Amino acid sequence: MTREEVLAVVARHLASSVDGLDPKTIDPMRSMKDYGANSLDIVEVVSGAMRELKVKVPRTELNKLTNLDGLVGLLYDIKSNTGELAKP
Amino acid sequence: MSWEASQFSLADFYYSDSDSPLTPPADYVAWRRDTAWATSLYEPVLCDPAGPINRLRTATGEQRVINMTSYGYLGLVRHPKVIAAAKQALDDYGTGACGSPILSGKSTLYQALEIKLSALTGYPAVLLFNSGFGGALGCAAGLMRKGDVAVVDARAHISMVDGLKVGGAKIAFFEHNSARALDEVLSAHNGARRLIFVDGLYSMDGDLADLPALIAVAESHGVGILVDEAHSFLCCGNTGGGVVEHFGMRAKVGVQYGTLSKAFSCGGGFAAASTDLIDYLRFYANTYGFTCAMPPSVVAAASAVIDVMQTETWRRAQLWENAAYFRTQLQSLGINTGESTSYVVPIVVGENRALLYQLGHQLREHGLFVTPVDYPTVALDQARFRASVTALHTRALLDQALQIIEDVFVPAMREKGLLRARAM
Ligand SMILES: Cc1ncc(COP(=O)(O)O)c(C=O)c1O
Repeated sequence: MTREEVLAVVARHLASSVDGLDPKTIDPMRSMKDYGANSLDIVEVVSGAMRELKVKVPRTELNKLTNLDGLVGLLYDIKSNTGELAKP
Repeated sequence: MSWEASQFSLADFYYSDSDSPLTPPADYVAWRRDTAWATSLYEPVLCDPAGPINRLRTATGEQRVINMTSYGYLGLVRHPKVIAAAKQALDDYGTGACGSPILSGKSTLYQALEIKLSALTGYPAVLLFNSGFGGALGCAAGLMRKGDVAVVDARAHISMVDGLKVGGAKIAFFEHNSARALDEVLSAHNGARRLIFVDGLYSMDGDLADLPALIAVAESHGVGILVDEAHSFLCCGNTGGGVVEHFGMRAKVGVQYGTLSKAFSCGGGFAAASTDLIDYLRFYANTYGFTCAMPPSVVAAASAVIDVMQTETWRRAQLWENAAYFRTQLQSLGINTGESTSYVVPIVVGENRALLYQLGHQLREHGLFVTPVDYPTVALDQARFRASVTALHTRALLDQALQIIEDVFVPAMREKGLLRARAM
């Protein structure tokens, strides 16, 4: 799976949580909040994307991210590394 | 707690990938097992009525602890007059109400409590609920619909938020207690039917809603406000009418919500508002009409509490005096008490969640009963103990508690470089 495909999954889940958002227009350098998602929406988007990608990242890791690109990068890295979380 | 286990939290298992909803997620089950030692601090079992000193059941027997977890801020849970009223109601009215308040569950006691609460809040009408949580949920769901926008303080209690989800309104959170953020969120949703939701006193932080500033913004947008006074009613305001009374904002608050479980030390909740709005909620807050009325003994106890607090106003004064003493003593030990200005006092540990549980066990072993509060209930870097004082904690007990904190909490935090330099 490519990074673009991971982004497409995340964008689709975001668009289904935020009224009137076209997934094709989503800019990964922006955050979900910029698109009007509240904290409950964000949990739903991230959980939906993780479920579809079959990866699990603790929310404590996700809280450090600032934009969609960071989220996509993290999900992509974990997916390519057999789903394991890197230990510090 | 293993490194892997400590990376996860309750925020991670809401969406499950198990095949059946009757099978909890396997990773949740494993995580609960891996964190059992830490979380054994939750659901402690008390052997006597909540008070400043309690006995906790342990594996081997009982342990005496200073209880700084109680919501019974005014120390009314064992009040002889309140207990006598509840016993009398058991004799006169039996154990249960045996009906929804709309159909048959109202007694003369019930009606008397409505009238007393109306007088105390200053609103013309009151609706009683058999659960504080349920009443808040029902009011939120009953007021807000799909297409409406609920403008909610980011730290508001989950009971309102759950109700808003039930009602289907859009939820727009604003930064905790920030009038500027409220203004921005209201502007962003201009045109929609909007209502602002805040708590009177934030139960994990101990700060009060900044009602004067928030209401000034609300008025400039022509938007109303609901204040949930679960932790503030009876304790705040000159006559116990909550932060709404404290700030003199009664005329500007559309709904004042309160619970009978905290300072009242009984159970249940109430909404106070205009007669027409209460009459609307009567049929659209489903947690009012589609559930049995509060048991008569609970109603009688809550009513007796109002009577007792007419004369025993020293309880309120003592509560605030104890709160100020405990908080300033903690601060002089260099402890971060967050934004608290009240009898709810966080003792902040920070992002080291494993340390939170380790200290929780050590404090309890030394006889101090405080509650660990972890992410996602509070922010990730704000793990804390929630301590609350009551009117019945004596100065000697507070000093004992402070000594335990100084002996156990302070050195561990200092060793990790997590404590501010000692003030003084
Ligand atoms: C702000 C707030 N609202 C509602 C509730 C629920 O009240 P009860 O415990 O009476 O169900 C709580 C309880 O913790 C609360 O803090």
